Amino acid sequence: MESNTPSPPPANSPPPKPRDRAGAASGPTPFKPPSAGNTSDVVESSGTANPGEIVSTSDRTATVNRNALGRPLPSRPWEQSYGSNSYGGYGSALNYNSGLGSGMYGSYSGLGGGMYGNGMYRGGYGGLNGSGMYGGGMYNGGFGGPMGGYGVGMGGPYGVQDPNNPHGGPSSPPGFWISLLRVTQGVVNVFGRISILIYENTEAFNMFMTAILQLAISSSHSYGSFYSIDFVLTGLVLFDRTGSLYGELARFVLRILGIKRKQRKVCPPGPNGLPLPGPNDMHANQRFIKGPKAAPGESWDSVWGKDPSK
Amino acid sequence: MPVFKTPFNGYSVKFSPFYESRLAVATAQNFGILGNGRLHVLDLSPTSPTLSEIVAFDTADGVYDVAWSESHDSLLIAAVADGSVKIYDTALPPAANPIRSLQEHTREVHSADYNPTRRDSFLTSSWDDTVKLWTVDRPTSVRTFKEHAYCVYNAAWNPRHSDVFCSASGDCTLRIWDVREMGSTMIIPAHEFEILACDWNKYDDCLLASASVDKSIKIWDVRSYRVPIAILNGHGYAVRKVKFSPHRRNLLASCSYDMSVCLWDFMVEDSLVGRHDHHTEFAVGVDMSVLVEGLLASTGWDELVYVWQQGMDPRAV
Repeated sequence: MESNTPSPPPANSPPPKPRDRAGAASGPTPFKPPSAGNTSDVVESSGTANPGEIVSTSDRTATVNRNALGRPLPSRPWEQSYGSNSYGGYGSALNYNSGLGSGMYGSYSGLGGGMYGNGMYRGGYGGLNGSGMYGGGMYNGGFGGPMGGYGVGMGGPYGVQDPNNPHGGPSSPPGFWISLLRVTQGVVNVFGRISILIYENTEAFNMFMTAILQLAISSSHSYGSFYSIDFVLTGLVLFDRTGSLYGELARFVLRILGIKRKQRKVCPPGPNGLPLPGPNDMHANQRFIKGPKAAPGESWDSVWGKDPSK
Repeated sequence: MPVFKTPFNGYSVKFSPFYESRLAVATAQNFGILGNGRLHVLDLSPTSPTLSEIVAFDTADGVYDVAWSESHDSLLIAAVADGSVKIYDTALPPAANPIRSLQEHTREVHSADYNPTRRDSFLTSSWDDTVKLWTVDRPTSVRTFKEHAYCVYNAAWNPRHSDVFCSASGDCTLRIWDVREMGSTMIIPAHEFEILACDWNKYDDCLLASASVDKSIKIWDVRSYRVPIAILNGHGYAVRKVKFSPHRRNLLASCSYDMSVCLWDFMVEDSLVGRHDHHTEFAVGVDMSVLVEGLLASTGWDELVYVWQQGMDPRAV
């Protein structure tokens, strides 16, 4: 809400609607007759007004419990671990692992068990390949597995990145963490929106994404997380349907993630000549991820902004 | 027929209830998944088949829907993906806009609808599972309707009853509400899959349409809502929007992820009376002019806005 905002201009009325000119009227209706007065007064006099109510997530859960629907409801992509939302959902279509399909799309594919789905890992971000069990919410909690979500193929849960994990605290300056969390949240939003805007609404995207995820999952076994994302992006280009839609999608996801693909190479030795422990070492992960880059164009400046005036 | 190219992907188009040549278009960058948004106000040239931009407003996130005010000819309500609801005055320059930014929804706002009878309030529906009722003169919502168990994709006022509206949700139900009642007054388990849109018949206040991921449109009578009075099949993918004609009782328009815009007469057996495949990406916005009979508009992810007269080819030059 801006301060000193101009008042709305004086009210005027549009031309009468065709339905009003026709004078059409239906028979008896189940509706109560309209009340006189303006909307605010009508609602306030009915005792139902609740100005400015903000509905929290817990309220929504309560709503679900009050709901008398007899069918399973999908979980929201942004409230789950990665393992059971976007990737998991697509994975379920592959029948790759029933655990994968448990979350959001289990109810659609029929392959998911629901066991690993919503609730249990809510809040965690771990788990491509169904490894939400290990990467994210359940064992490491909170943001414990943002990298775990990608790092399955690299051999471990990556829970060490949880700032609250006593077995290996973050070794990077806070700037990196802030960047990391912003990137992570961005990914959640991106895949949340893809899920809602595209996947759930059309099977067309399902076919396309299934193929990509198959590629990504297989690649993650070999090369680890960020390569798998890279493969997803490559897939977005490879499976380009129109020549513009998915190519552009790939470019902006790549740009937003700020992830650079590195050459596949053996880990360089540590200071004592031994290989670095890889997943348990922050620096090892940093080899594969860069923080978000400065926005290259004006249109990206406010992507993450909260400026209500925009 | 007039065509307008938007820089971002189209999401919604609405004709002005005041000016027959004016329409508003909501757009979002990168298919609405991530990026900015822009609200366009366009004008049809009276002399040539062209659409020209009067003004445009930029937003920090995609704009998923737009609604014209029914009480002020220059006011627009924008449903923004960052959870905000913004009010724009097209008579003011972009620098002086928006005149309001209402931040209460906790997820993407997916639809906006202005009360056509009382004309002092509007509804927004959101992925936070709620519908909110607002008045232009207040900085906070009047009340919140929280009963749906999943994203609410659409909410629409009844054209005759100023206190009644319907909502369409991903929980596969249609709900009928009266703003004076605490809870919904009717729950219609209308489809087996998510319901993306709903609209009331403009000549029979008891009829409404629902559009779903199951590719069908169903027509319901609230007086006996156990079974639909018509099921309209013909779209190849999820049906994204549905809109009853302001001029003809039995006519409605729809658009779909199959990239087509369809016209239906729900009272005849062969209900599909028109099909337009002019979009080359998902068609996600359609509207019918209340001031000019038969004038249609559509937009889609191909970044194009088409305006055409019913019976004509939208691509005809």
